[in-house]
Amino acid sequence: MTLSKQRRFTTPGPDETLEELAARALPDEGLEEACDKIRSWNLHIFAMRKPAGLLLGSDVVFVEPPQA
Amino acid sequence: MYDVIIRNGLVVDGTGAPGYRGDVAVKDGAVAAVGAVTGAARAEIDAGGRVVAPGFIDPHTHFDVQLLWDGAARPALEHGVTCVVPGNCSLSLAPLKAKDRERLVGMFQVIEEMPPEAFTQAFEWSWEDFAGYRDAIAKHLSINVAPLVGHSVIRLWVLGPAAQERAATADEIRQMQDLLRQCLEAGTVGLSTSFVDIDPNGRPVPSRFAQFEELDALASVLGEYGRMLQCVPEFYDVDITIARIDQLAELSLKHNIPTTFSPVFHNRSTPQNVRRQLARVEEQFARGARVWPQMQTRPIDISFSLLRPSLFFARLPRWVRILRQPVAERLAALGDPETARKMVEDLGPDGGERMMGGLVVRGGDAAPAAYVGRTLSEIAKERGERPAEALIKISLENGLDVAFLSASQGHEDTAEIGPMLAHPLVHIGASDGGAHISSFATYGDTGYLFSEFVRKGGFLTLEEAVRKITSETADIWGLKGRGRLAPGQAADIVIFDPASIARGEERPEFDMPGEGMRYVRDACGIDTVLVNGEIAYAKGAYTDARSGVVCD
Repeated sequence: MTLSKQRRFTTPGPDETLEELAARALPDEGLEEACDKIRSWNLHIFAMRKPAGLLLGSDVVFVEPPQA
Repeated sequence: MYDVIIRNGLVVDGTGAPGYRGDVAVKDGAVAAVGAVTGAARAEIDAGGRVVAPGFIDPHTHFDVQLLWDGAARPALEHGVTCVVPGNCSLSLAPLKAKDRERLVGMFQVIEEMPPEAFTQAFEWSWEDFAGYRDAIAKHLSINVAPLVGHSVIRLWVLGPAAQERAATADEIRQMQDLLRQCLEAGTVGLSTSFVDIDPNGRPVPSRFAQFEELDALASVLGEYGRMLQCVPEFYDVDITIARIDQLAELSLKHNIPTTFSPVFHNRSTPQNVRRQLARVEEQFARGARVWPQMQTRPIDISFSLLRPSLFFARLPRWVRILRQPVAERLAALGDPETARKMVEDLGPDGGERMMGGLVVRGGDAAPAAYVGRTLSEIAKERGERPAEALIKISLENGLDVAFLSASQGHEDTAEIGPMLAHPLVHIGASDGGAHISSFATYGDTGYLFSEFVRKGGFLTLEEAVRKITSETADIWGLKGRGRLAPGQAADIVIFDPASIARGEERPEFDMPGEGMRYVRDACGIDTVLVNGEIAYAKGAYTDARSGVVCD
């Protein structure tokens, strides 16, 4: 059984920062651009959470935009 | 000589098989015979014109606290529920060190709307380990309980305050595994975790600080016992929910465990979301994973007044803060024009029209009669105010005792929900029984299933609806010897009128410790409920039976 393609995600490592996660998840991007993309694809962490951007070990962090 | 014979009922045995006219005999707490029963009994019940079915099982409740002073989990029992699963969403009352009680109570208060008096006036908190909690509730149960243990409390036990700060070390994870084993040996039926809940300070609950590796390690222990992993995912975002389905599927396949997530609800504005979730579940089941989506039957309505905190304001931190203050301070804050102005501003440029305009003044002891049944939008226009401003002022003018109803918040489209409830992979539950008590009545979902989706909509047959909330639930959760009317099974039995079973109107009841208010619904059409062979409820009254057990 092949699973249909869904939005790819990763989870943060222990004490991993946004920069470290972005570099790991999007190694072909410049760091600043990678961070911007991670922020914009994960509003549940970077807009809705208080404090904004607090990365939790259980977080689903999307590494691509929503599917069309 | 049998203990009880129930005669001439329509026996719907919980398997989905067609109902048939027959008798059910009970002896020593178990079903002794089904069909045409000869012989005598100490008591006989005439079930003519009624259905005789296995007792219903409610797999998502928060009766953890209530069970300490109310072993019937009222009014769950009178709705035909003979087994409840508390301890969902990462929260249970054990294992918990005495020094951490205050921290956990705060979480129960903010997440489940449990009033402080529920923890201080009605029982003596004498335990720390899970066996101690089990013994504390087992003394006076008249309903069966299949308790989950919460991931957040397991984390809190091992990490202390760091449970809400960081990842666990390998040694700490081993300690959590040992603790979970102790709980499983002491009678818990699984582990619950949460990816969404917050504490009174807005801090994520401990389970959310766990790496996936920690959850994987705990799931491996569940695998040793074949027990359930329950979670509440980020239900507001379907992409995240699907990611959680995939995580659960991975754990299910790796450790051969059942998993379940809730709530799954339908929303008219985003109907594709629930369909996408169910499609993913189907794919994962086809791979052999067990990821049960748990769906409630009732629409989502929320009632509130400014007398108590309410989840209606969950996304408005200023409102939450103010409404959690003692009444005197709350009145002062709401009466301060500058504070009120900021509260209205929080609703955005429309002054709360979108969020609050459709609210209906429901009642409350002090509600002005001229407003009851009308929308806040109409009333605000009449008063020359904005809706949020009107809500604050009307509340202040009437001692805060004005109840507002936010109806149809979702999951109200019967034509869409009926087929979903009938879906072979949808697990009926998610009642939240015993939680959110001042926002809505978390009781009567079973009656609503029969009135709305069997009798009225015809989406499920009577037999199928009974099966979905009896044997299917027992099988999913591994509850041995329950959910069927067959010789040797526990005599958990409900006798009901198929023509009138329903849920009653939602009404406030002041029966919580400290005379705290909660919304309840009375049962309709339920005649008699037996728990482990004893009559626990009959003809509208509870008996003195205390035959409930902690299930294995």
